Amino acid sequence: MKWLWFAIKNVLRNRRRSLVTILIAAVGTTGILVGGGFALFTYTSLAEMAARDSGHLILAQRDYFKHDEDTPMQYGLDNYAALRDQIELDPRVRMALPRVQFSGLISNGDKSSIFIGAGIEPEAEFSVKGSTMRLISGGLLSPKTPSGSTPEIVLGSELAKQMKAAPGSGLTLLSTTTAGTLNALDVTVRGIVTVGVPEIDKRLVYVTLPTAQHLLLTDKASTLSVYLRETEQTEEMRGVVAALFPDHALQTWRDQAFFYAAVRELYNRIFGLLGMVIVIMVLFAVTNTLGMAVVERTREIGTLRSLGTLPAQIVRIFALEGLVLGIAGVGTGMLAAAGISVFLLFANVQMPPPPGRSEGYPLHVDFSWELYALTLVAILTLSIAAAWIVSRKAAAKPIVEALGHV
Amino acid sequence: MKAAANQLIHLDQVSKTYLMGAARVPALREVTLSIEAGEFTALTGPSGSGKSTLLNVCGLIDQPDAGSISIDGRATGQLSQKELTLIRREKIGFIFQGFNLVPVMTAFENVEYPLFLAGNAATDRRERVREVLSRVGLSELAQRRPDELSGGQRQRVAIARALVKQPRLVVADEPTANLDSATATQIIDLMHELGRSNGTTFLIATHDARVTSRCDRSIVLTDGVLQ
Repeated sequence: MKWLWFAIKNVLRNRRRSLVTILIAAVGTTGILVGGGFALFTYTSLAEMAARDSGHLILAQRDYFKHDEDTPMQYGLDNYAALRDQIELDPRVRMALPRVQFSGLISNGDKSSIFIGAGIEPEAEFSVKGSTMRLISGGLLSPKTPSGSTPEIVLGSELAKQMKAAPGSGLTLLSTTTAGTLNALDVTVRGIVTVGVPEIDKRLVYVTLPTAQHLLLTDKASTLSVYLRETEQTEEMRGVVAALFPDHALQTWRDQAFFYAAVRELYNRIFGLLGMVIVIMVLFAVTNTLGMAVVERTREIGTLRSLGTLPAQIVRIFALEGLVLGIAGVGTGMLAAAGISVFLLFANVQMPPPPGRSEGYPLHVDFSWELYALTLVAILTLSIAAAWIVSRKAAAKPIVEALGHV
Repeated sequence: MKAAANQLIHLDQVSKTYLMGAARVPALREVTLSIEAGEFTALTGPSGSGKSTLLNVCGLIDQPDAGSISIDGRATGQLSQKELTLIRREKIGFIFQGFNLVPVMTAFENVEYPLFLAGNAATDRRERVREVLSRVGLSELAQRRPDELSGGQRQRVAIARALVKQPRLVVADEPTANLDSATATQIIDLMHELGRSNGTTFLIATHDARVTSRCDRSIVLTDGVLQ
């Protein structure tokens, strides 16, 4: 405790220099925590988006992910209802949703375009999509098509523009059936949505599951998307579901989220590099401050050594000074970063749309105990290491030489 | 040579040479010297005669190139730096011409430091520091930092720091050089009084005749040779 008190007094000896060092460490810490927190927020958002889109787990027929289908639904699930009942028995499962993936041409009579469609159970499907899909006009699909009326369709905004379609417009879907023949179906536009990615909005079509099955002449589903109550349970549940259905293929949202993996890889590198630059900056700042202190106090070091202080104890004095500077810097930086996180929660600052997307997103900085702890340990370790580097030579200097230092 | 029973320091044929660029400058030449325990010894001689070097080797902060030194009957030639440090910590006190107090510490903390290094308990430290500060007349100024004290008061703190652990030897290098005449006299009297009451041996390098006159013995060094 006495050593620490001595270190604090020494840090206060040159207040302006210490303050500058503490500010550099604080700014560095804030930079790491805000940058890291933003990256974590991005990962969480992308993970949520990916999981909402595909489901946490995707169960399919054994060859579904391995081979391209020669005809639609060649590798479809014919017993999806039974699989679904079994999976939904697990309390960790929120719901399991069958989907029919299909593609073809969509036409307004004058003009045709390629679409990529999904046959879904509207109520459940749109509830899990949440904020990742925004309704622009009209409404979402009705659970059941009233008898005698044409089936409903929800279009991506860009595709609606191409088709000059609005809610209520009539369109025709043309697709290949499971028998390899062409089938056409007249549909009415119920609503127009966007998922924030123009390239997807250009092709997106949602119909009800029975409509898709009717178009493809099948009673199968392409996949069964399993939604869990907690994303963190994905790996655990992967094992459970794989054991339940060993004859089926299973993927997680991570396996299908190529964008998530790419962004994570990119951000890890960007923020890793940024963190390294900041850490080096802090190391230089602390080294510079303590280096000057060591030179100025060489005579004092000689005095302390003559009084019986061991070289290791001299190094300890400077290491504690490094620690004090580090704690003050990291503490200030943490408070600033936490303040920024809270401010952004309420400030509603919007980020511009990322490349390939049409919509921005709120700027948030996630709080992570792990990130805070890691930053604390890294900055403190560096501060102590800097002190050790600059003081060990002076501590080992011959006492007479140190006492004669001017 | 066998040390006498009450002999505290013995130097036998001690030589020390410094390198000044390419030139070799002998600071001590085959100095043989014994100092009795409790003795008050003045070390005089012109500037550059080797007084400080002799003090340094006696205080174990410098080592001779040749010859041997023993303190309290223990030869120091083969001791490691750590062992020498521990001997200094336990047995030797220093008083410097420039006081060499730690500026961020109060007078109390400066005096307490050697006891803290020695591992004395806090209550013991407090008592002993209070006592020694009272003896040097600085009880009221214990919480002042060195820059808030006069030159004489700083040297009193330095004396208190040197004596608080009741060392066997105090090495003082020109302790009155930076002080006015009246203060210098007070400091000499103080060292004398405290040294006598504790039975501490003093080795004082000085040019000051008042110091020399108060010492039991005066030795003269010229060009590194003991006269």
